[in-house]
Amino acid sequence: MPSPAQLDTLCNLSDMVLYPEAVAFMRRLIYDEECMPLSSAQVNGLQNVANTASYADLERFIKHQRDRNWPESKRDIKILYTELDKFFTTMKNKRLRDEFRLLQGKHHVQEVNQEIDELMALVAHDFIQHLVAENGLLAIKSAAGRARRR
Amino acid sequence: MNREMQIIIEVTNQAENFYEDAVRIGDHAAYVMKDGHRSQLTNLETIADSALKASDVLDYIKRQIARDTRWRQRFPLDHTSNLGFGERLKLYLEQDLAQRRKAVCERLKIGETTDEEHTLRRRIYLLLMRQFLRQVVVQYEYKVYLENTGKEM
Repeated sequence: MPSPAQLDTLCNLSDMVLYPEAVAFMRRLIYDEECMPLSSAQVNGLQNVANTASYADLERFIKHQRDRNWPESKRDIKILYTELDKFFTTMKNKRLRDEFRLLQGKHHVQEVNQEIDELMALVAHDFIQHLVAENGLLAIKSAAGRARRR
Repeated sequence: MNREMQIIIEVTNQAENFYEDAVRIGDHAAYVMKDGHRSQLTNLETIADSALKASDVLDYIKRQIARDTRWRQRFPLDHTSNLGFGERLKLYLEQDLAQRRKAVCERLKIGETTDEEHTLRRRIYLLLMRQFLRQVVVQYEYKVYLENTGKEM
Protein backbone atom coordinates (compact mmCIF):
# COMPACT_ATOMS: atom_id res chain seq x y z
CA MET A 1 0.00 0.00 0.00
CA PRO A 2 1.59 3.34 -1.01
CA SER A 3 2.30 5.73 1.87
CA PRO A 4 0.42 9.06 2.20
CA ALA A 5 3.59 10.83 0.99
CA GLN A 6 3.76 8.60 -2.08
CA LEU A 7 0.06 9.20 -2.81
CA ASP A 8 0.62 12.94 -2.50
CA THR A 9 3.54 12.75 -4.93
CA LEU A 10 1.40 10.68 -7.31
CA CYS A 11 -1.29 13.39 -7.30
CA ASN A 12 1.34 16.00 -8.16
CA LEU A 13 2.71 13.72 -10.83
CA SER A 14 -0.74 13.19 -12.30
CA ASP A 15 -1.33 16.94 -12.75
CA MET A 16 2.18 17.95 -13.75
CA VAL A 17 3.39 15.02 -15.85
CA LEU A 18 0.75 12.39 -16.66
CA TYR A 19 -1.96 14.81 -17.80
CA PRO A 20 0.18 16.76 -20.32
CA GLU A 21 1.88 13.56 -21.48
CA ALA A 22 -1.46 11.79 -22.02
CA VAL A 23 -2.70 14.77 -24.06
CA ALA A 24 0.51 14.77 -26.14
CA PHE A 25 0.39 10.96 -26.50
CA MET A 26 -3.15 10.99 -27.92
CA ARG A 27 -2.52 14.00 -30.18
CA ARG A 28 0.63 12.41 -31.58
CA LEU A 29 -1.25 9.23 -32.45
CA ILE A 30 -4.10 11.07 -34.13
CA TYR A 31 -2.32 13.98 -35.79
CA ASP A 32 1.14 12.51 -36.52
CA GLU A 33 0.43 8.79 -36.90
CA GLU A 34 -2.95 9.53 -38.47
CA CYS A 35 -4.77 7.04 -36.26
CA MET A 36 -8.49 7.28 -35.68
CA PRO A 37 -9.64 8.07 -32.12
CA LEU A 38 -10.39 4.98 -30.05
CA SER A 39 -13.86 3.50 -30.36
CA SER A 40 -16.21 3.35 -27.36
CA ALA A 41 -15.63 -0.41 -27.15
CA GLN A 42 -11.87 0.03 -26.86
CA VAL A 43 -12.23 2.91 -24.42
CA ASN A 44 -14.57 0.93 -22.17
CA GLY A 45 -12.35 -2.15 -22.27
CA LEU A 46 -9.22 -0.24 -21.41
CA GLN A 47 -10.90 1.78 -18.69
CA ASN A 48 -12.50 -1.27 -17.08
CA VAL A 49 -9.19 -3.06 -16.85
CA ALA A 50 -7.44 0.06 -15.54
CA ASN A 51 -10.12 0.54 -12.87
CA THR A 52 -10.33 -2.99 -11.59
CA ALA A 53 -7.19 -4.98 -12.29
CA SER A 54 -3.74 -5.11 -10.74
CA TYR A 55 -0.96 -3.60 -12.79
CA ALA A 56 0.21 -7.10 -13.77
CA ASP A 57 -3.25 -7.80 -15.23
CA LEU A 58 -3.32 -4.46 -17.03
CA GLU A 59 0.13 -5.15 -18.46
CA ARG A 60 -1.05 -8.56 -19.71
CA PHE A 61 -4.15 -6.97 -21.26
CA ILE A 62 -2.09 -4.32 -23.09
CA LYS A 63 0.42 -6.87 -24.42
CA HIS A 64 -2.42 -9.16 -25.46
CA GLN A 65 -4.09 -6.35 -27.40
CA ARG A 66 -0.74 -5.34 -28.89
CA ASP A 67 0.05 -8.86 -30.10
CA ARG A 68 -3.36 -9.71 -31.50
CA ASN A 69 -3.55 -10.25 -35.20
CA TRP A 70 -5.64 -7.17 -36.02
CA PRO A 71 -7.00 -6.76 -39.55
CA GLU A 72 -5.49 -3.87 -41.55
CA SER A 73 -8.63 -1.79 -40.94
CA LYS A 74 -7.85 -1.90 -37.20
CA ARG A 75 -4.10 -1.25 -37.32
CA ASP A 76 -4.72 1.93 -35.27
CA ILE A 77 -5.61 -0.21 -32.26
CA LYS A 78 -2.35 -2.14 -32.58
CA ILE A 79 -0.39 1.13 -32.79
CA LEU A 80 -2.13 2.47 -29.68
CA TYR A 81 -1.39 -0.60 -27.57
CA THR A 82 2.19 -0.81 -28.87
CA GLU A 83 2.80 2.80 -27.81
CA LEU A 84 1.00 2.33 -24.52
CA ASP A 85 3.16 -0.70 -23.74
CA LYS A 86 6.33 1.31 -24.49
CA PHE A 87 5.15 4.17 -22.28
CA PHE A 88 4.35 1.98 -19.28
CA THR A 89 7.48 -0.14 -19.67
CA THR A 90 9.70 2.96 -19.54
CA MET A 91 7.66 4.28 -16.63
CA LYS A 92 8.01 1.03 -14.70
CA ASN A 93 11.67 0.26 -15.43
CA LYS A 94 13.13 3.73 -15.27
CA ARG A 95 11.03 6.82 -14.59
CA LEU A 96 9.30 5.61 -11.42
CA ARG A 97 12.67 5.17 -9.73
CA ASP A 98 15.04 7.63 -11.44
CA GLU A 99 12.82 10.53 -12.46
CA PHE A 100 10.07 10.53 -9.84
CA ARG A 101 11.97 8.85 -6.99
CA LEU A 102 8.83 7.14 -5.82
CA LEU A 103 10.34 3.92 -4.48
CA GLN A 104 10.93 3.77 -0.76
CA GLY A 105 14.19 1.83 -0.63
CA LYS A 106 12.82 -1.59 0.24
CA HIS A 107 15.43 -4.38 0.27
CA HIS A 108 13.70 -7.62 -0.67
CA VAL A 109 13.07 -8.14 -4.36
CA GLN A 110 9.53 -9.34 -3.69
CA GLU A 111 8.72 -6.21 -1.66
CA VAL A 112 10.20 -3.94 -4.33
CA ASN A 113 8.20 -5.68 -7.06
CA GLN A 114 5.01 -5.39 -5.05
CA GLU A 115 5.63 -1.70 -4.43
CA ILE A 116 6.28 -1.11 -8.14
CA ASP A 117 3.11 -3.00 -9.04
CA GLU A 118 0.99 -0.93 -6.65
CA LEU A 119 2.45 2.37 -7.78
CA MET A 120 2.16 1.45 -11.45
CA ALA A 121 -1.51 0.54 -11.00
CA LEU A 122 -2.17 4.09 -9.75
CA VAL A 123 -0.01 5.73 -12.42
CA ALA A 124 -1.66 3.69 -15.17
CA HIS A 125 -5.15 4.42 -13.83
CA ASP A 126 -4.55 8.16 -13.99
CA PHE A 127 -2.74 8.10 -17.32
CA ILE A 128 -5.56 6.09 -18.92
CA GLN A 129 -8.19 8.41 -17.40
CA HIS A 130 -6.41 11.41 -18.99
CA LEU A 131 -5.93 9.51 -22.25
CA VAL A 132 -9.59 8.54 -22.54
CA ALA A 133 -10.78 12.09 -21.77
CA GLU A 134 -8.51 13.53 -24.48
CA ASN A 135 -9.58 10.79 -26.88
CA GLY A 136 -13.24 11.79 -26.44
CA LEU A 137 -12.41 15.42 -27.16
CA LEU A 138 -10.38 14.56 -30.27
CA ALA A 139 -13.08 12.18 -31.49
CA ILE A 140 -15.61 15.03 -31.44
CA LYS A 141 -13.21 17.37 -33.24
CA SER A 142 -12.43 14.71 -35.81
CA ALA A 143 -16.15 14.06 -36.42
CA ALA A 144 -16.83 17.81 -36.74
CA GLY A 145 -13.93 18.13 -39.21
CA ARG A 146 -15.30 15.29 -41.33
CA ALA A 147 -18.80 16.82 -41.29
CA ARG A 148 -17.41 20.17 -42.46
CA ARG A 149 -15.55 18.55 -45.33
CA ARG A 150 -18.68 16.78 -46.60
CA MET B 1 0.02 34.75 9.80
CA ASN B 2 0.21 31.04 9.01
CA ARG B 3 0.60 29.69 5.49
CA GLU B 4 -2.96 28.35 5.24
CA MET B 5 -4.47 31.77 6.06
CA GLN B 6 -2.15 33.46 3.59
CA ILE B 7 -3.31 31.06 0.86
CA ILE B 8 -6.99 31.64 1.64
CA ILE B 9 -6.54 35.41 1.53
CA GLU B 10 -4.63 35.33 -1.76
CA VAL B 11 -7.15 32.99 -3.39
CA THR B 12 -10.03 35.20 -2.19
CA ASN B 13 -8.33 38.26 -3.63
CA GLN B 14 -7.88 36.51 -6.97
CA ALA B 15 -11.56 35.54 -6.89
CA GLU B 16 -12.46 39.25 -6.78
CA ASN B 17 -10.41 39.75 -9.93
CA PHE B 18 -11.96 36.93 -11.96
CA TYR B 19 -15.56 37.67 -11.00
CA GLU B 20 -16.37 39.36 -14.33
CA ASP B 21 -14.97 36.38 -16.25
CA ALA B 22 -17.07 33.98 -14.17
CA VAL B 23 -20.18 36.08 -14.92
CA ARG B 24 -19.56 35.86 -18.67
CA ILE B 25 -19.04 32.09 -18.54
CA GLY B 26 -22.06 31.72 -16.21
CA ASP B 27 -24.17 33.58 -18.80
CA HIS B 28 -22.86 31.23 -21.45
CA ALA B 29 -23.86 28.27 -19.24
CA ALA B 30 -27.37 29.67 -18.83
CA TYR B 31 -27.70 30.11 -22.59
CA VAL B 32 -26.74 26.51 -23.40
CA MET B 33 -28.05 24.58 -20.38
CA LYS B 34 -31.25 26.54 -19.74
CA ASP B 35 -33.33 25.62 -16.71
CA GLY B 36 -33.62 21.89 -17.28
CA HIS B 37 -29.98 20.88 -17.02
CA ARG B 38 -28.94 22.39 -13.74
CA SER B 39 -27.35 19.11 -12.64
CA GLN B 40 -24.75 19.42 -15.41
CA LEU B 41 -23.29 22.38 -13.52
CA THR B 42 -23.88 21.24 -9.98
CA ASN B 43 -22.13 17.96 -10.85
CA LEU B 44 -19.15 19.93 -12.10
CA GLU B 45 -19.10 21.90 -8.86
CA THR B 46 -19.26 18.66 -6.84
CA ILE B 47 -16.41 17.14 -8.85
CA ALA B 48 -14.26 20.22 -8.24
CA ASP B 49 -15.09 20.21 -4.51
CA SER B 50 -14.07 16.59 -4.08
CA ALA B 51 -11.19 16.37 -6.58
CA LEU B 52 -7.63 15.88 -5.38
CA LYS B 53 -6.21 16.98 -8.72
CA ALA B 54 -6.93 19.75 -11.17
CA SER B 55 -6.64 17.20 -13.98
CA ASP B 56 -9.71 15.37 -12.59
CA VAL B 57 -11.77 18.53 -13.18
CA LEU B 58 -10.33 19.03 -16.68
CA ASP B 59 -10.98 15.38 -17.58
CA TYR B 60 -14.59 15.73 -16.42
CA ILE B 61 -15.10 18.79 -18.64
CA LYS B 62 -13.59 16.95 -21.62
CA ARG B 63 -15.89 13.98 -21.06
CA GLN B 64 -18.90 16.29 -20.96
CA ILE B 65 -17.83 18.04 -24.17
CA ALA B 66 -17.60 14.64 -25.85
CA ARG B 67 -20.93 13.39 -24.51
CA ASP B 68 -23.30 16.33 -24.61
CA THR B 69 -23.93 18.77 -27.46
CA ARG B 70 -24.87 21.53 -25.01
CA TRP B 71 -21.26 21.62 -23.81
CA ARG B 72 -20.21 22.31 -27.40
CA GLN B 73 -22.63 25.15 -28.07
CA ARG B 74 -21.37 28.66 -28.65
CA PHE B 75 -22.88 31.79 -27.13
CA PRO B 76 -23.68 34.18 -29.99
CA LEU B 77 -24.61 37.01 -27.62
CA ASP B 78 -21.07 37.19 -26.26
CA HIS B 79 -18.63 38.54 -28.80
CA THR B 80 -15.59 38.03 -26.58
CA SER B 81 -15.45 34.29 -27.40
CA ASN B 82 -16.56 32.03 -30.23
CA LEU B 83 -15.74 28.80 -28.42
CA GLY B 84 -18.24 26.22 -27.26
CA PHE B 85 -19.12 26.33 -23.56
CA GLY B 86 -16.93 23.42 -22.45
CA GLU B 87 -13.90 24.43 -24.51
CA ARG B 88 -14.19 27.97 -23.22
CA LEU B 89 -14.39 26.83 -19.62
CA LYS B 90 -11.52 24.36 -20.04
CA LEU B 91 -9.32 26.98 -21.68
CA TYR B 92 -10.04 29.44 -18.88
CA LEU B 93 -9.16 26.91 -16.19
CA GLU B 94 -6.04 25.73 -18.04
CA GLN B 95 -4.67 29.13 -18.96
CA ASP B 96 -6.12 32.04 -17.01
CA LEU B 97 -6.39 30.24 -13.67
CA ALA B 98 -2.95 28.72 -14.14
CA GLN B 99 -1.61 32.27 -14.51
CA ARG B 100 -3.44 33.33 -11.36
CA ARG B 101 -1.99 30.35 -9.50
CA LYS B 102 1.44 31.49 -10.67
CA ALA B 103 0.77 34.99 -9.32
CA VAL B 104 -0.41 33.64 -5.94
CA CYS B 105 2.63 31.38 -5.65
CA GLU B 106 4.99 34.22 -6.50
CA ARG B 107 3.41 36.45 -3.86
CA LEU B 108 3.66 33.68 -1.27
CA LYS B 109 7.16 32.69 -2.43
CA ILE B 110 6.15 29.11 -3.19
CA GLY B 111 8.69 27.62 -5.58
CA GLU B 112 8.50 24.63 -7.91
CA THR B 113 11.24 22.44 -6.52
CA THR B 114 10.21 20.31 -3.57
CA ASP B 115 7.30 17.88 -3.18
CA GLU B 116 5.82 20.19 -0.54
CA GLU B 117 5.87 23.10 -2.99
CA HIS B 118 4.26 21.00 -5.72
CA THR B 119 1.53 19.96 -3.29
CA LEU B 120 0.87 23.56 -2.28
CA ARG B 121 0.72 24.64 -5.93
CA ARG B 122 -1.76 21.85 -6.68
CA ARG B 123 -3.89 22.86 -3.70
CA ILE B 124 -3.92 26.54 -4.70
CA TYR B 125 -4.93 25.63 -8.25
CA LEU B 126 -7.83 23.53 -6.94
CA LEU B 127 -8.95 26.30 -4.57
CA LEU B 128 -8.97 28.78 -7.47
CA MET B 129 -10.95 26.34 -9.62
CA ARG B 130 -13.51 25.80 -6.84
CA GLN B 131 -13.98 29.54 -6.30
CA PHE B 132 -14.29 30.20 -9.99
CA LEU B 133 -16.75 27.37 -10.65
CA ARG B 134 -18.84 28.40 -7.65
CA GLN B 135 -19.13 31.90 -9.15
CA VAL B 136 -20.01 30.44 -12.57
CA VAL B 137 -22.80 28.32 -11.07
CA VAL B 138 -24.19 31.24 -9.03
CA GLN B 139 -24.32 33.38 -12.16
CA TYR B 140 -25.94 30.53 -14.09
CA GLU B 141 -28.66 30.18 -11.42
CA TYR B 142 -29.24 33.93 -11.32
CA LYS B 143 -29.45 34.25 -15.09
CA VAL B 144 -31.88 31.34 -15.40
CA TYR B 145 -34.01 32.86 -12.62
CA LEU B 146 -34.13 36.20 -14.46
CA GLU B 147 -35.11 34.50 -17.70
CA ASN B 148 -37.77 32.36 -16.03
CA THR B 149 -39.35 35.30 -14.29
CA GLY B 150 -39.16 37.61 -17.30
CA LYS B 151 -36.91 39.99 -15.46
CA GLU B 152 -34.10 39.69 -17.98
CA MET B 153 -32.88 43.17 -18.92
